[in-house]
Amino acid sequence: MRRRAGIGGLQNAAAARDQYRLLGENVARLRTDLMKEQLSTFRSQLEDFARKHKNDIRKNPAFRSQFHEMCAKVGVDPLASNKGFWAELLGIGDFYYELGVQIVDVCLATRPHNGGLINLEELCKLLSQRRKGAREVVSEDDCLRAIGKLKVLGSGFEVITVGKRKLVRSVPTELKKDHNEILELSQAQGFVTGEEVERRLSWSTGRATDALETLLDEGLAMIDEGHRDGKRRYWFPCVSSVSSFVASETI
Amino acid sequence: MQKLGELKLPHFFNYPPYFTLQPVRETREKQIQLWKELILDYCRTQKIFVVGLEEDFALFSNPAIERSLNHEARVAFLSAIVSDGRAEWMDKGHRRCLILWHRIQDWADIILRFVKDNGLEDSVMTVEEIRSGIESRGTDIHGMDRTVLMRALKLLENKGKLAIFKGTSTDDEGVKFSV
Repeated sequence: MRRRAGIGGLQNAAAARDQYRLLGENVARLRTDLMKEQLSTFRSQLEDFARKHKNDIRKNPAFRSQFHEMCAKVGVDPLASNKGFWAELLGIGDFYYELGVQIVDVCLATRPHNGGLINLEELCKLLSQRRKGAREVVSEDDCLRAIGKLKVLGSGFEVITVGKRKLVRSVPTELKKDHNEILELSQAQGFVTGEEVERRLSWSTGRATDALETLLDEGLAMIDEGHRDGKRRYWFPCVSSVSSFVASETI
Repeated sequence: MQKLGELKLPHFFNYPPYFTLQPVRETREKQIQLWKELILDYCRTQKIFVVGLEEDFALFSNPAIERSLNHEARVAFLSAIVSDGRAEWMDKGHRRCLILWHRIQDWADIILRFVKDNGLEDSVMTVEEIRSGIESRGTDIHGMDRTVLMRALKLLENKGKLAIFKGTSTDDEGVKFSV
């Protein structure tokens, strides 16, 4: 643009700036609009996909899990509300709600045996047994999602990781670090002795005894004094696959 | 799953801590519940009426996991069954326990049904015939404990459903049904 001197030149410069600004805004709006359009297109494509593959989503846990991931990427939460498009289309809102209720039941049923801590694998196994007639197979991913929903409802359910395993906690008892370490140690054989805890974790007798006794009181451990070596063993039902027998008799 | 006789053993039977009486109340209550049910089920399927605490009773130990119930645990579990009215101590020392996997009243009902099913309403039988005759085969009455049978019969006698009388020989008592 030709530079002009004087007032006219200033006015031109101001007008040019305005025009650039407008252009800038337009570009920005255009970009947003484009993005919105892309997102909207993607969303409707996702909806089409969901409609077409409704049965697969219902029946196949692995597929279902991938579908959830896809949704998450686009900012869609099929579980956000029980009503609404997604819940109606897939009916999966009910699926997770129902699953959540069953999880609560299983945890309550096994609580006298394992103190309110159950390993995720065991939970899924019990749920599958319970749901033998149902069309939909339940995966660990499904359980985690259902528990996630339970958490949101403030039910006190939580998934914690101990060593290689995921444990589902259904009681308010918070596990302290010392307890966690003992649980992890117990995963090898399903039990520990006081001596073993002291030796492997380098703790004093007092510290080991305190932690073990607390776990016992909380119902997370059971004692065994029947071994011929005479040493007291502390067994942890939540790390063995023994929880199942108790519940299968009551479920 | 392991079996003992006809009974499928529940998994807790293979979990060592269940053979130690648990100190924590809630855990112990669950433990007692499980053992009560197992003992009753086992006695029913094996038709065991008397359990001697110091004798060999299959459920008291599990060689597969090298665990046995100590005396205190045995007393605890059987006492729980007694409290439920499904067993009675036979001696003051609590060494022998009569297991009523059917209560006496239930046995009485079973006998009544047995009488009706076999058209024995007005007949006479010896006590021994009742528990080992052909008619009793296939029912719980077959081979049942004689003491328990007598108690059930006495209960029915009190209700006027039958009369017990001494037989001609010293061998056996007889029963005349009037159902």
